[in-house]
Amino acid sequence: MRVGERGIAGRTPWILVISTLLVCALGIWNLSSASRPPAHPFWINQSIYLGVALVAGLLAAAVDYRHLRSLAIPIYLLNILALLALKKFGHTAKGAESWIALGPVRVQPAEFMKIGVILMMARFYDDDFRPEDDSYGFLRLLKPALLALVPAVLVLVQPDLGTFMMICLSALTVILFGRVRGGVWAVGIIGALAVAFVVWNDYVRDGGHPPKTIARHYLKKHQDGRIAGWLDPEADPRGTNYHAVQSRIAVGSGGLTGKGWRNGTQTGFSFLPERHTDFVFSVLAEEQGFVACVALLFLYGVLLLSILWVASHSRDRFGGFVAVGVASMLFWQIFENIGMVVGLLPVTGITLPLMSYGGSSLVSVMMGLGLVVNVGIRRSAY
Amino acid sequence: MTLRPNNPGKELRSRYAWLGAAFVAGLLLLTFRLYRLQVTHGAEYAQKSEANFIKPIPIPADRGMIMDANGRILVDNRPSFDAFVTPAFCSRCEDHVLPQLAEWLDWDEEELARMQALVKAKGKTSERFQRVPVRVDLTRDEMDLLLSHQRDLEGLDVEPVPHRSYRAGTVLSHVLGYMNEITQVELEQKVPGRPEYHLGDYVGRRGIERALEEYLRGKDGLRREVVDAHGRVFKGLAQQLGMDTIKPEAGLDVVTTLDYRLQETAEKAFPGVAGAVVVVDVRTGSILAVVSRPGFDPNVLSGRVSAKELAELNKDPLTPLIFRGTQNHFSPGSTFKVVTALAALQSRHFRPSTTVNCSGGYKLGSRRWRCHKESGHGGVDLRRALQVSCDTWFYRVADVLGINPIAKVGRELGLGAPTGLGVVADISGIMPDEAYHARATPGGYYKGHSLNTAIGQGDVNVTPLQLAMVYAALGNGGKVYQPQLVKRVEAQDGTVVKTFEPKLLRELAVPAALRKVVVDGLVAVVNEPGGTAYSQRIKGLEVAGKTGTAQVKKLGDVRLKTEQMDYWSRDHAWFAAFAPSKDPEIAVVVLNEHGGHGGTDAAPTAMAVFKRYFELKGEPPPVGREPVERIALKLPPRPPPPPVRKRPEPRPAKKPAARAEKAAP
Repeated sequence: MRVGERGIAGRTPWILVISTLLVCALGIWNLSSASRPPAHPFWINQSIYLGVALVAGLLAAAVDYRHLRSLAIPIYLLNILALLALKKFGHTAKGAESWIALGPVRVQPAEFMKIGVILMMARFYDDDFRPEDDSYGFLRLLKPALLALVPAVLVLVQPDLGTFMMICLSALTVILFGRVRGGVWAVGIIGALAVAFVVWNDYVRDGGHPPKTIARHYLKKHQDGRIAGWLDPEADPRGTNYHAVQSRIAVGSGGLTGKGWRNGTQTGFSFLPERHTDFVFSVLAEEQGFVACVALLFLYGVLLLSILWVASHSRDRFGGFVAVGVASMLFWQIFENIGMVVGLLPVTGITLPLMSYGGSSLVSVMMGLGLVVNVGIRRSAY
Repeated sequence: MTLRPNNPGKELRSRYAWLGAAFVAGLLLLTFRLYRLQVTHGAEYAQKSEANFIKPIPIPADRGMIMDANGRILVDNRPSFDAFVTPAFCSRCEDHVLPQLAEWLDWDEEELARMQALVKAKGKTSERFQRVPVRVDLTRDEMDLLLSHQRDLEGLDVEPVPHRSYRAGTVLSHVLGYMNEITQVELEQKVPGRPEYHLGDYVGRRGIERALEEYLRGKDGLRREVVDAHGRVFKGLAQQLGMDTIKPEAGLDVVTTLDYRLQETAEKAFPGVAGAVVVVDVRTGSILAVVSRPGFDPNVLSGRVSAKELAELNKDPLTPLIFRGTQNHFSPGSTFKVVTALAALQSRHFRPSTTVNCSGGYKLGSRRWRCHKESGHGGVDLRRALQVSCDTWFYRVADVLGINPIAKVGRELGLGAPTGLGVVADISGIMPDEAYHARATPGGYYKGHSLNTAIGQGDVNVTPLQLAMVYAALGNGGKVYQPQLVKRVEAQDGTVVKTFEPKLLRELAVPAALRKVVVDGLVAVVNEPGGTAYSQRIKGLEVAGKTGTAQVKKLGDVRLKTEQMDYWSRDHAWFAAFAPSKDPEIAVVVLNEHGGHGGTDAAPTAMAVFKRYFELKGEPPPVGREPVERIALKLPPRPPPPPVRKRPEPRPAKKPAARAEKAAP
């Protein structure tokens, strides 16, 4: 293992590490309000998980990532196996078979699958590199698309629509980053317009009785309700739209400086659902206000940009793609989660990285960040 | 590990900047949205969040009382315990709470379905925080049951609410009125200046309760409670947070012109199944007592009245919901003869001494109009005609004058038009004239109509109150007053807020000397042998009155006795009078529907009222208002919870929430 002259400490991307730790600290402080008495003090559990996650992150940073490159395929296959095993040994909670019980610990394979996909995609883009032909047409995209879609579909059937979307969006970002041909762009844009048309036709247009819908009737009732609620925020505030409405009230009522730590009424009087998991950002927004929200978004921004800085300085193409994969994964989770909390996007079960309660998610994010640190430590000399 | 050729990764350099820019743009979009929510619209959302956890609970204002002229309480408030459901806090309403209530409160399926639909509809609107009353007037047992299970019945409240208490039951029911719940339609109506109403509030529906609603209804207060998403109340927290309570303002008390002592006498003395007694002060037009029988119990109509009970009230052939004082009209019979007499004297064709020979009837053309005395009264003048109620004299007047002069005097005295009482709806009755018959009678007007009208038969119809006002005007020297039921409105401490003064409508054009002849006739009716009410005279009090026996059915050839006819065919018995004959003070009209003869079946009631009135004049009047304990409303202490029936609880998952990382999918 060769490390540059400045030594490990000198090559560690400290900005990335510090912003990560700051977000984690903010997260635990916020969780201790979200899970204030008489609720179970989840922040204590989360602190323990954070310790575990930091160890996992250190491990991910320690082993030279170029070894991991050769391990990418076994890691990927192992994760796929774990997802398949869910079907047999899965533990059902909230309607989804997402957990595997390993003794006292329950893990969510889908969270780790993300890391597997990131490594596998990076490996593909490294192997497939042709300096003379740097842009991808349909045929050449088949393989990376399959590499992402197979695990994504396995997640979708759990059913876990949120993680499915996250894998797809992250993979798409990586694919776009890997550069695609004009034709692919064109088809992509037409596809996006078609989806927009379907949504308009099924939800916005008054389609007569019975309404002629294209895709709406295939959706499950709660999914349908969330899209409808997203497009019409005032509809059914007690039913399908309850989460979205209460979350917006929590965020909005926080104002500029918030109601104060553990003083949030939406949180304290239980109007806000899922306050320590999916809607943890609402708690921060309600109690700490706009100022703290911007501070958190700033920290996330610093984190994302420092990952990209590491990527741009990586020794090789593999390292760059790993870092881009991790950044995309983080970005889409942040964007979708906060977007849902503030009513920009429909409600999906996506946690906020480093802020939401949940061990598996924390460990997988830390492992991803560990990989990025790994790439940073072993960057080329210049 | 060896370096790969071509300086790999260099081609990616420019793309990092693009990706970074895209990430920053995404985060800025979120920041912008947060700014809109938290800074631009922060105040609105702060209000919405307050509305979430602060439950406004109206404190009902004390409704004003209704009293008689001497301060005796006729209507006040009593505490009742009502059950409410707040849809916003009742998450298992339709499938758990309401069915449970249905079982405990004996609702039928229809009622349950109605409640479920109502709560469901409210739950979807901004009204979901308004309480929906599910039961008024809980019994003690029902209340214990509900209070001890309140924990299980999320969103249910039991609250003490003042309810109306009509102390006299059916007595004066039409005049006092009753109350019931405001309807959805009324709630949505925007009436400027109307006091504020909430769902479940009661409004006056008839009589004084309705007409003086704006005075009687106070202004509801408001207190606030902090509640969580499950509807659990944090007692006292709102006060700690400095949220103020708005005190209710009590409604004003209504003082009527009624004298309950006289009312009691009239109620007791009135012998009929159906009918009316009206007592007015001839000097002001104030109504001192009014009986309308049969009546209804406003306590029942204001409380838990079932649809079936209501239907029965509506279907009753005796129409207990109709106020006979002003809302139904009847043939006045011979009591109308004073009008014909005045019309005759006003014309130049008749003088008090004008004598008509009664041979038991009067011939007009080929038809003979019968006098009630088959053998005839012989030669009678006006005074005698009134005293013995000879029809023939009045037939003669009608024959000479026609119908229009009679109608003119009738209308001057207030017949054929609403009295303007105001507090209770009143109908106009009928004062027929030629134009009326041309319009309403097939074949149009002919002389015979005026003969019928002259003796108070045919189409002429009066309400008992109209007739009372006619006799009052006759007694007071020709002043026609607007009848009056409400004297003043005052605050709880007795401060007078508004006084209703007597209102003089018209003065009669008939000269006093001529009027005196008619009054003399009426005195003779009661006080001279041969008068139709001579048997009912009172010692020491000169009453001037007139009996009436109004035919309901056309008489056949055989004259049946009252007992031989079925109820609906019997004559109406009337007696209309005032006293003392010199300088009269009160006028009394008694209508005993299908009761028989005026002299025997109506006059005694009137005499009892006169007697009592003048007895009471000798007594010192009751001073001031009746002392009253304004009710204090408090929930009784919560009973201990009964043993809970064990229900299989869903087995909790191992550490249920601790592992939950996802929202409901």
